[in-house]
Amino acid sequence: MRSGNPIPILRIKDTLLVTVEVDLHDRLAEAFQADMLATIERQGAAGLVIDISGLDIVDSYVARVLAETARMTSLMGAETVIVGMRPEVAATLVRMGYTMSGVRTALDVDAGLGLLSRGHGSSSA
Amino acid sequence: MDFMVALKLDERELSIRRAFVGLHDEDLQRLASLRPIAEKHTSEVIEDFYRVLLSQEETRAMFPDPATLERAKRAQYEYFMGLFAGRCDLDYAADRLRVGTTHERIGLAPKWYIGAYTRYLWFLHHRLHDEIPSPEEREAAFESVHKMVTFDMTLAIDTYIAAYLDSLDRHRAAIRELSTPVIAVHEGVLLLPLVGALDAKRSERVMEAVLLRVVEEQARVVILDIAGVPVVDTGVADHLLKTTAAVRLLGAQTVLTGISASVARTMVQLGVDVSTMHTKSRLADGIQLALSIVGKTIQEVAG
Repeated sequence: MRSGNPIPILRIKDTLLVTVEVDLHDRLAEAFQADMLATIERQGAAGLVIDISGLDIVDSYVARVLAETARMTSLMGAETVIVGMRPEVAATLVRMGYTMSGVRTALDVDAGLGLLSRGHGSSSA
Repeated sequence: MDFMVALKLDERELSIRRAFVGLHDEDLQRLASLRPIAEKHTSEVIEDFYRVLLSQEETRAMFPDPATLERAKRAQYEYFMGLFAGRCDLDYAADRLRVGTTHERIGLAPKWYIGAYTRYLWFLHHRLHDEIPSPEEREAAFESVHKMVTFDMTLAIDTYIAAYLDSLDRHRAAIRELSTPVIAVHEGVLLLPLVGALDAKRSERVMEAVLLRVVEEQARVVILDIAGVPVVDTGVADHLLKTTAAVRLLGAQTVLTGISASVARTMVQLGVDVSTMHTKSRLADGIQLALSIVGKTIQEVAG
Protein backbone atom coordinates (compact mmCIF):
# COMPACT_ATOMS: atom_id res chain seq x y z
CA MET A 1 0.00 0.00 0.00
CA ARG A 2 2.41 2.58 -1.23
CA SER A 3 1.46 6.24 -1.07
CA GLY A 4 -2.03 5.41 0.18
CA ASN A 5 -3.10 3.56 -2.94
CA PRO A 6 -5.01 0.40 -2.04
CA ILE A 7 -5.23 -0.79 -5.65
CA PRO A 8 -2.52 -3.42 -6.25
CA ILE A 9 -0.31 -3.02 -9.31
CA LEU A 10 0.77 -6.44 -10.57
CA ARG A 11 3.77 -6.94 -12.78
CA ILE A 12 3.92 -9.74 -15.34
CA LYS A 13 7.28 -9.48 -17.05
CA ASP A 14 7.29 -6.00 -18.60
CA THR A 15 3.55 -5.50 -18.41
CA LEU A 16 1.62 -4.00 -15.50
CA LEU A 17 -1.87 -5.23 -14.63
CA VAL A 18 -4.23 -3.15 -12.50
CA THR A 19 -7.69 -4.29 -11.49
CA VAL A 20 -9.92 -1.47 -10.29
CA GLU A 21 -12.72 -2.73 -8.11
CA VAL A 22 -13.39 0.18 -5.80
CA ASP A 23 -14.90 3.53 -6.62
CA LEU A 24 -12.12 5.86 -7.71
CA HIS A 25 -12.85 9.03 -5.86
CA ASP A 26 -10.95 12.20 -5.14
CA ARG A 27 -7.91 11.32 -3.05
CA LEU A 28 -8.01 7.67 -4.03
CA ALA A 29 -7.98 8.57 -7.73
CA GLU A 30 -5.03 10.88 -7.20
CA ALA A 31 -3.15 8.31 -5.16
CA PHE A 32 -3.86 5.62 -7.76
CA GLN A 33 -2.63 7.82 -10.60
CA ALA A 34 0.47 8.93 -8.71
CA ASP A 35 1.37 5.39 -7.68
CA MET A 36 1.02 4.13 -11.23
CA LEU A 37 3.14 6.87 -12.73
CA ALA A 38 5.78 6.44 -10.02
CA THR A 39 5.93 2.71 -10.63
CA ILE A 40 6.53 3.21 -14.34
CA GLU A 41 9.09 5.93 -13.62
CA ARG A 42 10.99 3.72 -11.19
CA GLN A 43 10.76 0.35 -12.86
CA GLY A 44 9.64 1.05 -16.41
CA ALA A 45 6.95 -0.91 -18.23
CA ALA A 46 6.20 -1.67 -21.86
CA GLY A 47 2.51 -2.18 -21.33
CA LEU A 48 -0.28 -1.44 -18.88
CA VAL A 49 -3.66 -3.10 -18.69
CA ILE A 50 -6.33 -1.43 -16.55
CA ASP A 51 -9.22 -3.80 -15.87
CA ILE A 52 -12.46 -2.01 -14.94
CA SER A 53 -14.84 -4.97 -15.26
CA GLY A 54 -15.52 -4.65 -11.54
CA LEU A 55 -16.96 -1.16 -11.87
CA ASP A 56 -20.76 -0.92 -12.07
CA ILE A 57 -20.76 2.83 -12.20
CA VAL A 58 -18.26 5.09 -13.90
CA ASP A 59 -19.13 8.76 -13.69
CA SER A 60 -17.51 11.49 -15.76
CA TYR A 61 -14.92 12.17 -13.06
CA VAL A 62 -13.74 8.57 -12.88
CA ALA A 63 -13.82 8.32 -16.69
CA ARG A 64 -11.63 11.40 -16.92
CA VAL A 65 -9.17 10.07 -14.34
CA LEU A 66 -8.92 6.77 -16.21
CA ALA A 67 -8.51 8.40 -19.62
CA GLU A 68 -5.95 10.88 -18.31
CA THR A 69 -4.01 8.17 -16.55
CA ALA A 70 -3.96 6.12 -19.74
CA ARG A 71 -2.67 9.09 -21.75
CA MET A 72 0.01 9.87 -19.15
CA THR A 73 1.27 6.29 -18.93
CA SER A 74 1.27 6.00 -22.74
CA LEU A 75 3.34 9.18 -22.81
CA MET A 76 5.82 7.47 -20.48
CA GLY A 77 6.19 4.63 -22.92
CA ALA A 78 3.79 2.10 -21.44
CA GLU A 79 1.20 1.16 -24.04
CA THR A 80 -2.04 1.33 -22.12
CA VAL A 81 -5.29 -0.54 -22.65
CA ILE A 82 -8.47 -0.14 -20.64
CA VAL A 83 -10.37 -3.42 -20.61
CA GLY A 84 -13.64 -4.96 -19.44
CA MET A 85 -15.93 -1.94 -19.50
CA ARG A 86 -19.51 -3.03 -18.91
CA PRO A 87 -22.13 -2.36 -21.60
CA GLU A 88 -24.26 -0.14 -19.38
CA VAL A 89 -21.21 1.87 -18.38
CA ALA A 90 -20.25 2.40 -22.04
CA ALA A 91 -23.81 3.44 -22.92
CA THR A 92 -23.90 5.94 -20.05
CA LEU A 93 -20.53 7.47 -20.89
CA VAL A 94 -21.43 7.91 -24.56
CA ARG A 95 -24.78 9.46 -23.60
CA MET A 96 -22.85 11.99 -21.53
CA GLY A 97 -20.72 12.67 -24.60
CA TYR A 98 -17.66 11.07 -23.04
CA THR A 99 -15.96 8.78 -25.55
CA MET A 100 -12.44 8.56 -24.05
CA SER A 101 -10.97 9.18 -27.46
CA GLY A 102 -7.36 8.22 -27.93
CA VAL A 103 -7.55 5.55 -25.25
CA ARG A 104 -7.15 1.94 -26.30
CA THR A 105 -9.78 -0.55 -25.24
CA ALA A 106 -10.31 -4.31 -25.24
CA LEU A 107 -13.02 -6.72 -24.14
CA ASP A 108 -11.09 -8.35 -21.28
CA VAL A 109 -7.62 -8.75 -19.78
CA ASP A 110 -6.79 -11.54 -22.22
CA ALA A 111 -7.73 -9.46 -25.24
CA GLY A 112 -5.87 -6.49 -23.74
CA LEU A 113 -2.66 -8.49 -23.31
CA GLY A 114 -3.09 -9.82 -26.85
CA LEU A 115 -3.39 -6.29 -28.11
CA LEU A 116 -0.16 -5.28 -26.39
CA SER A 117 1.81 -8.24 -27.71
CA ARG A 118 0.61 -7.51 -31.26
CA GLY A 119 1.43 -3.87 -30.79
CA HIS A 120 -1.63 -2.59 -32.62
CA GLY A 121 -5.10 -2.08 -31.31
CA SER A 122 -8.72 -1.35 -31.76
CA SER A 123 -8.30 2.29 -31.03
CA SER A 124 -6.87 4.86 -33.26
CA ALA A 125 -9.95 7.05 -32.83
CA MET B 1 -57.45 -9.09 -21.68
CA ASP B 2 -59.28 -8.13 -18.51
CA PHE B 3 -61.18 -4.96 -19.28
CA MET B 4 -62.08 -4.38 -15.63
CA VAL B 5 -58.34 -3.99 -15.03
CA ALA B 6 -57.65 -2.11 -18.27
CA LEU B 7 -60.36 0.45 -17.49
CA LYS B 8 -59.31 0.53 -13.81
CA LEU B 9 -62.91 -0.23 -12.89
CA ASP B 10 -63.22 -0.30 -9.11
CA GLU B 11 -65.88 1.04 -6.73
CA ARG B 12 -64.47 4.54 -6.96
CA GLU B 13 -64.25 4.61 -10.76
CA LEU B 14 -67.77 3.18 -10.98
CA SER B 15 -69.23 5.88 -8.74
CA ILE B 16 -67.40 8.59 -10.73
CA ARG B 17 -68.82 7.24 -13.99
CA ARG B 18 -72.33 6.99 -12.53
CA ALA B 19 -72.19 10.47 -11.06
CA PHE B 20 -71.08 11.94 -14.37
CA VAL B 21 -74.05 10.61 -16.32
CA GLY B 22 -76.29 11.40 -13.34
CA LEU B 23 -77.34 7.84 -12.74
CA HIS B 24 -78.60 7.94 -9.14
CA ASP B 25 -80.18 5.29 -6.94
CA GLU B 26 -83.62 6.74 -7.62
CA ASP B 27 -83.05 6.12 -11.34
CA LEU B 28 -82.25 2.50 -10.56
CA GLN B 29 -85.41 2.21 -8.45
CA ARG B 30 -87.47 3.74 -11.24
CA LEU B 31 -85.95 1.33 -13.76
CA ALA B 32 -86.79 -1.59 -11.47
CA SER B 33 -90.39 -0.37 -11.26
CA LEU B 34 -90.56 -0.32 -15.06
CA ARG B 35 -89.62 -3.98 -15.21
CA PRO B 36 -93.20 -5.29 -15.79
CA ILE B 37 -93.64 -2.95 -18.78
CA ALA B 38 -90.23 -3.93 -20.12
CA GLU B 39 -90.99 -7.62 -19.80
CA LYS B 40 -94.26 -7.18 -21.64
CA HIS B 41 -92.60 -5.53 -24.64
CA THR B 42 -89.17 -7.11 -24.79
CA SER B 43 -89.82 -9.41 -27.69
CA GLU B 44 -91.46 -6.69 -29.79
CA VAL B 45 -88.59 -4.25 -29.16
CA ILE B 46 -86.05 -6.93 -29.96
CA GLU B 47 -87.88 -7.98 -33.11
CA ASP B 48 -88.08 -4.34 -34.25
CA PHE B 49 -84.40 -3.94 -33.47
CA TYR B 50 -83.29 -6.98 -35.43
CA ARG B 51 -85.49 -6.00 -38.37
CA VAL B 52 -83.33 -2.86 -38.60
CA LEU B 53 -80.10 -4.80 -38.23
CA LEU B 54 -81.11 -7.30 -40.91
CA SER B 55 -82.20 -4.57 -43.32
CA GLN B 56 -78.64 -3.32 -43.66
CA GLU B 57 -76.10 -5.34 -45.58
CA GLU B 58 -73.12 -4.66 -43.28
CA THR B 59 -75.00 -5.47 -40.08
CA ARG B 60 -76.77 -8.44 -41.67
CA ALA B 61 -73.33 -9.99 -42.24
CA MET B 62 -72.93 -10.35 -38.44
CA PHE B 63 -75.66 -13.00 -38.47
CA PRO B 64 -74.60 -15.51 -41.10
CA ASP B 65 -77.05 -18.23 -39.99
CA PRO B 66 -80.33 -18.55 -38.05
CA ALA B 67 -78.60 -20.11 -35.04
CA THR B 68 -76.30 -17.11 -34.62
CA LEU B 69 -79.29 -14.82 -34.93
CA GLU B 70 -81.18 -16.76 -32.26
CA ARG B 71 -78.20 -16.65 -29.92
CA ALA B 72 -77.84 -12.91 -30.46
CA LYS B 73 -81.52 -12.37 -29.75
CA ARG B 74 -81.32 -14.34 -26.52
CA ALA B 75 -78.28 -12.33 -25.45
CA GLN B 76 -80.19 -9.20 -26.40
CA TYR B 77 -83.07 -10.28 -24.17
CA GLU B 78 -80.70 -10.66 -21.23
CA TYR B 79 -79.16 -7.34 -22.01
CA PHE B 80 -82.50 -5.58 -22.31
CA MET B 81 -83.85 -6.92 -19.03
CA GLY B 82 -80.53 -6.04 -17.40
CA LEU B 83 -81.37 -2.38 -17.94
CA PHE B 84 -84.36 -2.81 -15.66
CA ALA B 85 -82.66 -4.92 -12.98
CA GLY B 86 -82.40 -1.88 -10.73
CA ARG B 87 -78.72 -2.34 -10.00
CA CYS B 88 -75.51 -0.82 -11.23
CA ASP B 89 -72.59 -2.32 -9.31
CA LEU B 90 -69.27 -3.84 -10.33
CA ASP B 91 -70.96 -7.10 -11.36
CA TYR B 92 -73.24 -5.15 -13.65
CA ALA B 93 -70.25 -3.32 -15.16
CA ALA B 94 -68.39 -6.61 -15.67
CA ASP B 95 -71.45 -7.99 -17.43
CA ARG B 96 -71.63 -4.95 -19.72
CA LEU B 97 -67.93 -5.23 -20.51
CA ARG B 98 -68.52 -8.77 -21.68
CA VAL B 99 -70.96 -7.34 -24.25
CA GLY B 100 -68.27 -4.93 -25.43
CA THR B 101 -65.76 -7.78 -25.66
CA THR B 102 -68.16 -9.75 -27.83
CA HIS B 103 -68.65 -6.76 -30.14
CA GLU B 104 -64.91 -6.35 -30.40
CA ARG B 105 -64.48 -10.05 -31.17
CA ILE B 106 -67.11 -10.17 -33.95
CA GLY B 107 -65.77 -6.88 -35.32
CA LEU B 108 -68.86 -4.76 -34.73
CA ALA B 109 -67.62 -1.22 -35.38
CA PRO B 110 -68.67 1.58 -33.00
CA LYS B 111 -70.66 3.27 -35.78
CA TRP B 112 -73.04 0.29 -35.92
CA TYR B 113 -73.12 -0.05 -32.17
CA ILE B 114 -74.04 3.57 -31.54
CA GLY B 115 -76.39 3.75 -34.52
CA ALA B 116 -78.19 0.61 -33.46
CA TYR B 117 -78.48 1.88 -29.93
CA THR B 118 -80.27 5.02 -31.11
CA ARG B 119 -82.83 2.88 -32.92
CA TYR B 120 -83.20 0.73 -29.86
CA LEU B 121 -83.87 3.70 -27.61
CA TRP B 122 -86.41 4.99 -30.06
CA PHE B 123 -88.39 1.72 -30.04
CA LEU B 124 -88.29 1.76 -26.27
CA HIS B 125 -89.50 5.32 -26.24
CA HIS B 126 -92.59 4.36 -28.25
CA ARG B 127 -93.47 1.57 -25.84
CA LEU B 128 -93.06 3.79 -22.79
CA HIS B 129 -95.24 6.35 -24.51
CA ASP B 130 -98.04 3.82 -24.99
CA GLU B 131 -97.77 2.42 -21.47
CA ILE B 132 -97.32 5.47 -19.25
CA PRO B 133 -100.16 8.00 -19.50
CA SER B 134 -98.71 10.72 -17.23
CA PRO B 135 -96.30 12.97 -19.18
CA GLU B 136 -94.16 13.67 -16.07
CA GLU B 137 -93.77 10.01 -15.19
CA ARG B 138 -93.08 9.19 -18.81
CA GLU B 139 -90.35 11.79 -19.03
CA ALA B 140 -88.80 10.65 -15.75
CA ALA B 141 -88.88 7.04 -16.95
CA PHE B 142 -87.30 7.87 -20.23
CA GLU B 143 -84.63 9.97 -18.54
CA SER B 144 -83.66 7.07 -16.28
CA VAL B 145 -83.51 4.69 -19.24
CA HIS B 146 -81.41 7.17 -21.14
CA LYS B 147 -78.92 7.56 -18.28
CA MET B 148 -78.60 3.81 -17.90
CA VAL B 149 -78.05 3.35 -21.62
CA THR B 150 -75.49 6.15 -21.70
CA PHE B 151 -73.64 4.56 -18.81
CA ASP B 152 -73.51 1.30 -20.77
CA MET B 153 -72.31 3.15 -23.86
CA THR B 154 -69.40 4.79 -22.04
CA LEU B 155 -68.26 1.33 -20.95
CA ALA B 156 -68.68 -0.11 -24.43
CA ILE B 157 -66.72 2.68 -26.11
CA ASP B 158 -63.95 2.41 -23.54
CA THR B 159 -63.85 -1.31 -24.21
CA TYR B 160 -63.33 -0.64 -27.89
CA ILE B 161 -60.51 1.80 -27.15
CA ALA B 162 -58.87 -0.46 -24.59
CA ALA B 163 -58.97 -3.36 -27.04
CA TYR B 164 -57.41 -1.24 -29.79
CA LEU B 165 -54.71 0.08 -27.47
CA ASP B 166 -53.96 -3.45 -26.38
CA SER B 167 -53.48 -4.65 -29.95
CA LEU B 168 -51.39 -1.55 -30.67
CA ASP B 169 -49.17 -2.38 -27.70
CA ARG B 170 -48.72 -5.93 -28.90
CA HIS B 171 -47.78 -4.71 -32.36
CA ARG B 172 -45.31 -2.23 -30.89
CA ALA B 173 -43.70 -5.01 -28.89
CA ALA B 174 -43.44 -7.15 -32.03
CA ILE B 175 -41.84 -4.30 -33.95
CA ARG B 176 -39.47 -3.62 -31.08
CA GLU B 177 -38.26 -7.20 -31.17
CA LEU B 178 -37.91 -7.21 -34.92
CA SER B 179 -36.05 -3.93 -34.94
CA THR B 180 -32.89 -5.03 -33.13
CA PRO B 181 -31.70 -8.38 -34.43
CA VAL B 182 -28.00 -8.86 -33.74
CA ILE B 183 -26.62 -11.71 -35.82
CA ALA B 184 -23.40 -13.57 -35.16
CA VAL B 185 -21.84 -13.83 -38.63
CA HIS B 186 -18.62 -15.42 -37.56
CA GLU B 187 -16.67 -15.93 -34.37
CA GLY B 188 -16.08 -12.46 -33.00
CA VAL B 189 -18.08 -10.76 -35.75
CA LEU B 190 -21.62 -9.42 -35.23
CA LEU B 191 -23.95 -8.03 -37.88
CA LEU B 192 -26.73 -5.60 -37.14
CA PRO B 193 -28.95 -5.04 -40.19
CA LEU B 194 -30.89 -1.84 -39.55
CA VAL B 195 -34.22 -1.60 -41.37
CA GLY B 196 -36.61 1.32 -41.08
CA ALA B 197 -36.41 4.77 -39.56
CA LEU B 198 -33.97 5.28 -36.70
CA ASP B 199 -35.43 7.60 -34.11
CA ALA B 200 -33.84 8.48 -30.78
CA LYS B 201 -35.72 5.80 -28.85
CA ARG B 202 -34.93 3.03 -31.26
CA SER B 203 -31.29 4.06 -31.52
CA GLU B 204 -30.98 3.77 -27.75
CA ARG B 205 -32.37 0.25 -27.87
CA VAL B 206 -30.11 -0.64 -30.78
CA MET B 207 -27.08 0.60 -28.87
CA GLU B 208 -27.99 -1.30 -25.71
CA ALA B 209 -28.66 -4.51 -27.65
CA VAL B 210 -25.37 -4.22 -29.52
CA LEU B 211 -23.32 -3.55 -26.38
CA LEU B 212 -24.82 -6.50 -24.52
CA ARG B 213 -24.20 -8.83 -27.43
CA VAL B 214 -20.62 -7.63 -27.91
CA VAL B 215 -19.83 -8.68 -24.35
CA GLU B 216 -21.87 -11.90 -24.54
CA GLU B 217 -20.29 -13.03 -27.78
CA GLN B 218 -16.87 -11.57 -27.04
CA ALA B 219 -17.17 -9.86 -30.40
CA ARG B 220 -14.32 -7.83 -31.80
CA VAL B 221 -16.15 -6.31 -34.74
CA VAL B 222 -19.72 -5.12 -35.19
CA ILE B 223 -21.03 -4.49 -38.71
CA LEU B 224 -23.80 -1.91 -38.82
CA ASP B 225 -25.64 -2.23 -42.12
CA ILE B 226 -27.76 0.82 -42.88
CA ALA B 227 -28.94 -0.21 -46.37
CA GLY B 228 -32.49 -0.45 -45.01
CA VAL B 229 -32.52 2.94 -43.31
CA PRO B 230 -34.53 5.26 -45.59
CA VAL B 231 -33.13 8.59 -44.46
CA VAL B 232 -29.72 9.24 -42.98
CA ASP B 233 -29.68 12.73 -41.53
CA THR B 234 -27.49 14.33 -38.86
CA GLY B 235 -29.62 12.74 -36.14
CA VAL B 236 -29.15 9.22 -37.48
CA ALA B 237 -25.45 9.82 -38.09
CA ASP B 238 -25.10 11.06 -34.52
CA HIS B 239 -26.70 7.85 -33.22
CA LEU B 240 -24.36 5.74 -35.34
CA LEU B 241 -21.34 7.64 -34.05
CA LYS B 242 -22.50 7.19 -30.46
CA THR B 243 -22.94 3.47 -30.96
CA THR B 244 -19.48 3.29 -32.51
CA ALA B 245 -17.98 5.19 -29.58
CA ALA B 246 -19.68 2.92 -27.04
CA VAL B 247 -18.64 -0.24 -28.90
CA ARG B 248 -15.09 1.09 -28.93
CA LEU B 249 -15.18 1.66 -25.16
CA LEU B 250 -15.87 -2.04 -24.77
CA GLY B 251 -12.87 -2.84 -26.92
CA ALA B 252 -14.48 -3.73 -30.24
CA GLN B 253 -14.65 -1.97 -33.60
CA THR B 254 -17.46 -0.93 -35.88
CA VAL B 255 -17.81 -1.28 -39.62
CA LEU B 256 -20.55 0.77 -41.27
CA THR B 257 -21.92 -0.74 -44.48
CA GLY B 258 -24.83 -0.22 -46.83
CA ILE B 259 -23.90 3.34 -47.67
CA SER B 260 -25.62 4.11 -50.95
CA ALA B 261 -24.60 6.88 -53.34
CA SER B 262 -27.40 9.14 -52.13
CA VAL B 263 -26.57 8.49 -48.46
CA ALA B 264 -22.90 9.26 -49.10
CA ARG B 265 -23.91 12.49 -50.84
CA THR B 266 -26.24 13.51 -48.02
CA MET B 267 -23.68 12.75 -45.32
CA VAL B 268 -20.99 14.83 -46.99
CA GLN B 269 -23.36 17.69 -47.73
CA LEU B 270 -24.55 17.67 -44.11
CA GLY B 271 -20.95 17.73 -42.95
CA VAL B 272 -21.32 14.46 -41.02
CA ASP B 273 -17.91 13.24 -39.92
CA VAL B 274 -17.73 9.46 -39.73
CA SER B 275 -13.96 9.28 -39.96
CA THR B 276 -13.91 7.32 -36.68
CA MET B 277 -15.75 4.46 -38.38
CA HIS B 278 -14.70 2.00 -41.03
CA THR B 279 -17.14 2.45 -43.91
CA LYS B 280 -17.98 0.33 -46.94
CA SER B 281 -20.72 0.53 -49.49
CA ARG B 282 -21.46 -3.16 -49.86
CA LEU B 283 -22.14 -5.51 -46.98
CA ALA B 284 -19.93 -8.15 -48.63
CA ASP B 285 -16.94 -5.81 -48.41
CA GLY B 286 -17.84 -5.02 -44.83
CA ILE B 287 -17.84 -8.70 -43.91
CA GLN B 288 -14.49 -9.15 -45.59
CA LEU B 289 -13.05 -6.21 -43.67
CA ALA B 290 -14.51 -7.50 -40.40
CA LEU B 291 -13.00 -10.92 -40.99
CA SER B 292 -9.60 -9.42 -41.72
CA ILE B 293 -9.80 -7.57 -38.40
CA VAL B 294 -10.29 -10.87 -36.55
CA GLY B 295 -7.49 -12.38 -38.61
CA LYS B 296 -9.58 -14.43 -41.04
CA THR B 297 -9.93 -14.28 -44.77
CA ILE B 298 -12.35 -15.57 -47.36
CA GLN B 299 -10.60 -17.78 -49.85
CA GLU B 300 -11.74 -19.12 -53.18
CA VAL B 301 -11.71 -22.88 -53.40
CA ALA B 302 -10.38 -24.29 -56.64
CA GLY B 303 -12.68 -26.72 -58.38
